[in-house]
Amino acid sequence: MNANLNPVPVSKPPQGANEKVEQLRKLFADAPQLGRTALENVLHELRSDSSETPPPPVESAGRIGSRLDKVSELTIIVPLAPGGAKRLRAFLRLLNGNLKRGGDLVGTLHNMRFVFFDNDTRLLFATAYDGEWDAYIDDFVAKIPDYLDIIDSAWDGWPGIRDPGAKDYLAKHQITAEGWYVAHPDLTVAETARLKRIGKAVDELLDKIGN
Amino acid sequence: MVTQSATATTSAQDARVEQKIQKLRELYADAPEIGRAALEKGLPMLTEELAAAPRSQTAGRIGLRQGKVSELIVFLPFVKGGAKRLRSFLQLLEGNFRAADAVGTVHDMRFVFVDNDTKLLFATAYDGDFDAYIEDFAAKIPNAMDLWLSNCEGYPGMRNPSAAKDWIANHQIAAEAWYVNSPNLTAAETRRLEHVGKAFEEFLDKVG
Repeated sequence: MNANLNPVPVSKPPQGANEKVEQLRKLFADAPQLGRTALENVLHELRSDSSETPPPPVESAGRIGSRLDKVSELTIIVPLAPGGAKRLRAFLRLLNGNLKRGGDLVGTLHNMRFVFFDNDTRLLFATAYDGEWDAYIDDFVAKIPDYLDIIDSAWDGWPGIRDPGAKDYLAKHQITAEGWYVAHPDLTVAETARLKRIGKAVDELLDKIGN
Repeated sequence: MVTQSATATTSAQDARVEQKIQKLRELYADAPEIGRAALEKGLPMLTEELAAAPRSQTAGRIGLRQGKVSELIVFLPFVKGGAKRLRSFLQLLEGNFRAADAVGTVHDMRFVFVDNDTKLLFATAYDGDFDAYIEDFAAKIPNAMDLWLSNCEGYPGMRNPSAAKDWIANHQIAAEAWYVNSPNLTAAETRRLEHVGKAFEEFLDKVG
């Protein structure tokens, strides 16, 4: 095992491919028929997958959450305060669901969504972001504290982003994803922006050469 | 003339933003103090967003889209034993889903066990329209999908894409707000840019 400073939430010591296949068979022995059939269909793929060099493992994003290489996930489910759902929904609708300016200012945010559920008693807040949990929350606090409080003041028990208890509140309501996939786990928001600039410059260069 | 109509448009827009700000103040009049204070301080920043044209669009049947990137979230009740099986399965794969690379239109995807393991929250960011996306899954990784979702109640199987789409749409809740940092980049375009970036570095190395 590596001398790893961060806890790894879902990974286990390396195992042989055959051993894994056996475990999977046992696991799906009492699965619905669909699942058992699917397992047999993919077993040979899984066998070859697990014998190849494994892809980067899903690791911890720090205090809580999963990370794949450079990109992490945050999934928070909070109870809404009385009147909170109505206010927050009206707020988001006045913005036409457009969080462009606030989101861009954070600088480490790939995507973000707000979803009301359970008859407006609960809210799901889910984001994909760069790097470590603590630094990410600090980015929010430093760059868009008021923006965040306009939204989070609808949450039951929210202490305010400037309150020392804010991080504890967030961590308490966060649930670590047990599966996390990112198509381009090596690309941060900043690196994507750089690639976009290079792509544009290369296109311009090719245009000039073509003329 | 042009200037005049431009001015008219601007003032109409200002009036619209002013109205929205007024609404926001009314809305937050009975908010907790934190919210009221934040609104007053945050208003200058919001003005721009309030003035912007609507950006969020629909992903087709259900869900929001920003530019080319859409969102999907579903809460799926587990069958008996389903949570335990899916969790062990994910642990065996060490949280990894290489299979999803084959779909080609997935940006990200998460599996979260909620409400004491009674439900699976599946959330993804993807390219384009709902129907085409589920069809991509059905065409490219039906077995992987069946392995994951056969642990949930009522799942009809990916070999019946039309029923699978209905089942997913029935459990989906559209987001109320959706932000994407690079809304014009599909997963395929990002791959292309990665290639361009790499070729560019090599080119610079050669020049240097």
